Amino acid sequence: MTGVAEISAAWAPAGAAVLLGVAAAAAALDGALAARADGRPLRAGVGLPVAETARLFRQRRRNTVSADVLLRWIGVGGLLVVALLKAAVVPLGGAVLADLPTGLVWFNALDVTVWALVWLVGWGQNSAHALVGGYRFLAQALAYELPLMFALTAPAVAAASLRPADIVAAQADLWFVLWMPVAFAVYCLALVGFSVWGPLETPVGADVAGGVLADLSGIDRWLVLVGRWTLLTAGAAFGVTLFLGGGAGPLLPGWTWVLLKTAVLLAALVALRRRLPALRPERIQAAAWLGALPLVLLQVLVVSVVVVGRS
Amino acid sequence: MDLTARLARAAVARASVLVVEVPGWVSTRWAAAAELRRRGWRAATSPADADVLLVCGAPGPRLAQACDAVWSQLPGPRARADVVGSDAVGAALDRAAAALVDAGQQRREAHGRPLEPVMGPPAEPSDAGDGDRHQDGPNEGGSDHGDTDHGDTYHAGSDHAGSDHGDTDHGDGDMAPGGIPLAGSGGEDRDGLEMDVLSVPLGPVLPHWPAGLLLHCTLAGDVITGARAEVLGPADGVPTPGNPRGSAPDRLDRAATLLALAGADAAATTAARLRDATLVGDEVARLAGAVDRLHRRVHRSRLLRWAMDGAGHLDAAQLDLDPCRSGTVHDRLVGLLADACAALGGAPVTRTPTPVDALPTVLAGLEMGSARLMVASLDVDPAAELDPAGAA
Repeated sequence: MTGVAEISAAWAPAGAAVLLGVAAAAAALDGALAARADGRPLRAGVGLPVAETARLFRQRRRNTVSADVLLRWIGVGGLLVVALLKAAVVPLGGAVLADLPTGLVWFNALDVTVWALVWLVGWGQNSAHALVGGYRFLAQALAYELPLMFALTAPAVAAASLRPADIVAAQADLWFVLWMPVAFAVYCLALVGFSVWGPLETPVGADVAGGVLADLSGIDRWLVLVGRWTLLTAGAAFGVTLFLGGGAGPLLPGWTWVLLKTAVLLAALVALRRRLPALRPERIQAAAWLGALPLVLLQVLVVSVVVVGRS
Repeated sequence: MDLTARLARAAVARASVLVVEVPGWVSTRWAAAAELRRRGWRAATSPADADVLLVCGAPGPRLAQACDAVWSQLPGPRARADVVGSDAVGAALDRAAAALVDAGQQRREAHGRPLEPVMGPPAEPSDAGDGDRHQDGPNEGGSDHGDTDHGDTYHAGSDHAGSDHGDTDHGDGDMAPGGIPLAGSGGEDRDGLEMDVLSVPLGPVLPHWPAGLLLHCTLAGDVITGARAEVLGPADGVPTPGNPRGSAPDRLDRAATLLALAGADAAATTAARLRDATLVGDEVARLAGAVDRLHRRVHRSRLLRWAMDGAGHLDAAQLDLDPCRSGTVHDRLVGLLADACAALGGAPVTRTPTPVDALPTVLAGLEMGSARLMVASLDVDPAAELDPAGAA
């Protein structure tokens, strides 16, 4: 009924390659914009993901005294795994790796594991700045998680399903972003929050010497950096599925539309990033609980009333 | 060209440099920042993030010891450059790049390094016999001797690789896994909960931090409950290149630091580029216009004001500081940019620097991020304190 078919798990490596490719493109755009701000040509910064990867692959792993190596390793490696598992439920046009009837809940559950992973990276290093970074992430997550859950609820209520493919099909007439803009805005804020990125990157901020990244080097640092970019990319792709009509669009095949819309959303976030200051957890707490949460609850109420009225 | 060499070339295109400024050599650091921007390199946030350690100026014995401790924490491939004059920076970074690419030399050097992290030197001088080192001591929030023992390290605890020498003088080595004393308990947090208490030094090697400042902090979670400040000075007998305090580049540099700590990348880059432009002697009228635009942009930004002002309002009169320090961090940032405009207009304003001894009182009770913004906004000048004559 929805025209989405689950494809063989043999396609998983290709899916991972697409996710990493789009994430690298976003990082390249970020590098290009930084180069332009520095007064150098745009193309001088495009090679940033390649140069940084080469640098970190060459670098030795650094250890700290009495580090909790196992916990640190779980956190460092886990972020990329979570991003891949999130991307698995995103329908790419007519194909999806895992057509879960509860795909939305799957996404949200993975999102909560990020709490543990970032904290473990911060805790496992046995280092003061990394620990402060870990504290900051927990406080930040406390601010974005509940608004995020309700923002995810709105499209699910409208589509009367938790299955991403059904949510895409329910947007055939009208994209959800047009009549639930508050939920979309809150989703985008939470997206940069769980990706520890942009204005919500204070857990790795310059004011705490890199925070949870403070004592990571070599492949460990690469995995966390890539984990953050892929979480952002997977989150943007899921946002396209929930709010921007997924693969809907004229002429081109569905999968191109998903990639195109994801790229546009990512580009908008990257372009905005440099203009926004860091929002530290203690600053956003009141805004999240007293502003975003009531607003998104109102949004869910409006959506529910519309759905009941229609039926 | 083989794969290893290509990887090395690609890596050096974006080398990461940890810049250490010795009090008095701010002009050398500025030259280094301009050079990094020209090459497309970047400043490191911590020793683990760095490929190159660049020491600007001639450090005194304790600061040199801190630099050595940080050097031992660079993961490698690594290169070290010590420069004094600002004209030597370019050549020193060229040599560093060549050393990073030289795989054979890096391999030989790595061979001699210990596999396991080693303990670093204590942050306290070895002869600090002032008798206030009590284990699990009462947390004297805000008092001068906030740290309970000399269990602190040079690079802000980010190096438990270079942690302290574990309280051997207290005979409780069995309670110090890996030589690190356990976090003390009993600190009362603001909300009345009992918190673990950590002794953590901030500085002297820390990006966006006043040169040579070492702040021995007591942390409860991420809140500073007490602190003690000291300044690690330059080597004796080496003439410093003069102190440009109050000049347009000095004001712009402080504004850029503050904006970088606040995460406002676009504005921080603009301020840093304007600083570099004033140094190479761009047309003053054009610069004055650009600084004025930045000043108005920062002044107008409500989001930036809201994001920066976690530390609240400071009353300068109460703390016996220059009256211009009253207000919030954002007010002081706007003040720095206004001073830069005035200096470019040919009417520089003289401000009394905030003495480092005032910091512990101001910082007590602040979250670490707010504290960093506070320190950067207060116009602290360790070089002037070491050499009062040079500040005039």
